[in-house]
Amino acid sequence: MDRFTSVLLVAGLGCFALAFVLSGLYPWLITDAKQTEATIAEVAYNVTTEFKQLKEMYPVAFADAYPTADECLTDRDLASADDDDPRRAQSDDAWRAAHAFALQAGRDTYVAEACWHCHSQFVRPVANETQRFGRIRVPADENNALQRPMMFGTRRVGPDLTNEGGKRSNDWHVAHFSDPTGTSPGSIMPAYTWFFRDGHQVFRTIDPDSAERTGIATSRRYPVPGVYATQADAEAALQRASDATPDNLSTERKRLVVGESEGPTPNALNVIAYLQWLGTWTDDDRREPQQ
Amino acid sequence: MTSVADPAQVAEVPSEPLVDKGLVKWHLTAAIFFMVTAMTWGFLVSLQFFGHYPFEGISFLSYGRVRLLHTNEIAYGFLVNGFVGCMYYAIPRMTGKSVASSKLGWLIFGVWQFIIVAMSVGQLLGFGQGVEWGETPTGFRPGTWELQYIPVDFLIELGAVLVAIQFLTPIVKSVRKHQYVSLWYLTAGMIWLILTYVMGNTLPEWTLAGTSGAATVGLFIHDLVGLFVTPMGWGLMYFFVPVILRKPIWSHALSVIGFWALAFFYPLNGVHHFLLSSIPMSVQYGAIISTMAVEIVVTTVVVNFFATMWGRGDALRTNLPIRWFFTGMICYFITCLQCMFHTTLTMQEIIHFTDWVPGHAHLVMLGVFAFWIMGMTTWLWPRLTGSDWHNRRLNHWHYWLTVIGLVIMFGDLTAAGLVHGYMLAALSPWMEIVRAMHGFWVIRTFAGGMIVAGQLCFAWNMYKTCTGEVKPYDYRVDLATVEA
Repeated sequence: MDRFTSVLLVAGLGCFALAFVLSGLYPWLITDAKQTEATIAEVAYNVTTEFKQLKEMYPVAFADAYPTADECLTDRDLASADDDDPRRAQSDDAWRAAHAFALQAGRDTYVAEACWHCHSQFVRPVANETQRFGRIRVPADENNALQRPMMFGTRRVGPDLTNEGGKRSNDWHVAHFSDPTGTSPGSIMPAYTWFFRDGHQVFRTIDPDSAERTGIATSRRYPVPGVYATQADAEAALQRASDATPDNLSTERKRLVVGESEGPTPNALNVIAYLQWLGTWTDDDRREPQQ
Repeated sequence: MTSVADPAQVAEVPSEPLVDKGLVKWHLTAAIFFMVTAMTWGFLVSLQFFGHYPFEGISFLSYGRVRLLHTNEIAYGFLVNGFVGCMYYAIPRMTGKSVASSKLGWLIFGVWQFIIVAMSVGQLLGFGQGVEWGETPTGFRPGTWELQYIPVDFLIELGAVLVAIQFLTPIVKSVRKHQYVSLWYLTAGMIWLILTYVMGNTLPEWTLAGTSGAATVGLFIHDLVGLFVTPMGWGLMYFFVPVILRKPIWSHALSVIGFWALAFFYPLNGVHHFLLSSIPMSVQYGAIISTMAVEIVVTTVVVNFFATMWGRGDALRTNLPIRWFFTGMICYFITCLQCMFHTTLTMQEIIHFTDWVPGHAHLVMLGVFAFWIMGMTTWLWPRLTGSDWHNRRLNHWHYWLTVIGLVIMFGDLTAAGLVHGYMLAALSPWMEIVRAMHGFWVIRTFAGGMIVAGQLCFAWNMYKTCTGEVKPYDYRVDLATVEA
């Protein structure tokens, strides 16, 4: 029994291999092996509404983040387009490409920042977890290229994120990354200041008359979406906004000013896109991406 | 018994031509260095839990990234260096042959410290990988062959192979029908490390996505504990305990049974990290049953140790290394008993995802394996430096600060876990739970501070012992590591 050389063969290799077969290969055979793994393109096929909103809310960061940003047309851009307008199909492809890029990059950041050490993606059928966190996911939902490796997580210092997609708005996420206690008083999550960059933005100041009438402070400014890297870009944006203002509202033009600001980085958009996607893709959504 | 008495009676430092003391010394130095570093990271990140983390807002020192250093530097910086250092002492003495080559030894030493530094820098730069306890950067973008950073995983693999070559050479040269059981454990541990590392750092990233990948990750986490740390720890204990007590181990048969049971049951535990998940239930039940079986395996070691100690209770008072081993063994028994219960689905329902788990992890990694390595280092250091400890009292500070710190931390985190778990199940509002945890987290930081302080005492003492004036030391009296 204690013949030394047999150690290498039986204990060293045999037991190790047996365990791998029983707890690695066997679960694979009875679950994931039964279907092909979904590609990133497949899981990104249904572009979330929140991802489309990112373009309207943060146009500059969005353009910096995705090569196909210019071809991603919003519903407003397509308002006058017919149903069979080729721009629609073109735009859909551009959105899907940008979405796929965002999901992969967002998930890479999720791993790199070790978000998964405090946030699980693992709802269990016990302890009232479905009431707090929602739907339980089955192996087929996870068998995709974004789950390499799977982000079950290990500890719940923060809430579970399995079904986070669509629960909160993009600007909630932006505000939360900037200062978690602002949106969630008492939160112990660190602020992700490096998800933000300084820049210049166009603001609309308030009309002194209406300020007096409504009691809103005259110092109040309303940001126009788009944080530009340079003052010159922001001034060009101001000019565009001014040109777009109808003549009958020409006094509004005078109230446009350029000021210093900060906005989310392209990478922050990736993370938000990933969070807004979580839980939205299930096995039922498997589809062939269009060629 | 007294400590050092008459200098005339002091024996020469035992000459051990087979042992390359420089390698032992430097590996142990590196081990203690990374232990102090890793624990300091742990202490710092614990401040985040009540809003006092000093580096908030600095991306590469953010909570999330630094937390990776805490666990990874313990695994690859402290434990590996500690085990390798002790093996450089133990294996030549058990085999009667020196290791393959001292030059190779220094190469391994250099490569390994480079790995730890590259790993730490990579994690701080955001190249950590999503495998628990294996966040070492693969260097590749997940699932592709696009190289982004130094492929640390590959270097670790290379290092593990070099370590195996280094130590298997004397073992193979001296092979005979009845080998010391220590050598069984150490041999198996070195080979399992290679296999485990390849499995955990390739399959979930390149081959198995989703839940079956997660099952493999679970297998990796537990194989690293069960098939590397555990056999290394047991193997070295089966060497150091008889050597220090100067009596044979109580039962060779029991140690062999322990070995085969470990080899069979331990690797089957992996999936117990993801119980109640979407991994097939049959696999989960298998993991639960084998986790319970491991408790029986562990009992063989515990019984063997206490039976060997039988009649030598005085050593607990007079011999600090033995006291470390004894304390570690008690922690080991508690940890494994705990395992047996909290692996059940009933307890998982409450304690999974809570501070109970870090409590358990600290009890086993610090309370057991780190305590054993500390005991071995306490015993070895005077033999390596040729001088008695600079200040033996500091070693006692080390012991008591660490042990009391750990007891507080374990009790605190266990209680915190139960409160957290029941509040989660009761659907308490989230911020209500965070507020309830506040006190527990403050106590945890306090306990962590005690532990770090203890290690600083030890590190300072080690430094002064090897650089300060040489104090005579009676090597014939092993118990002399305790102030008379």
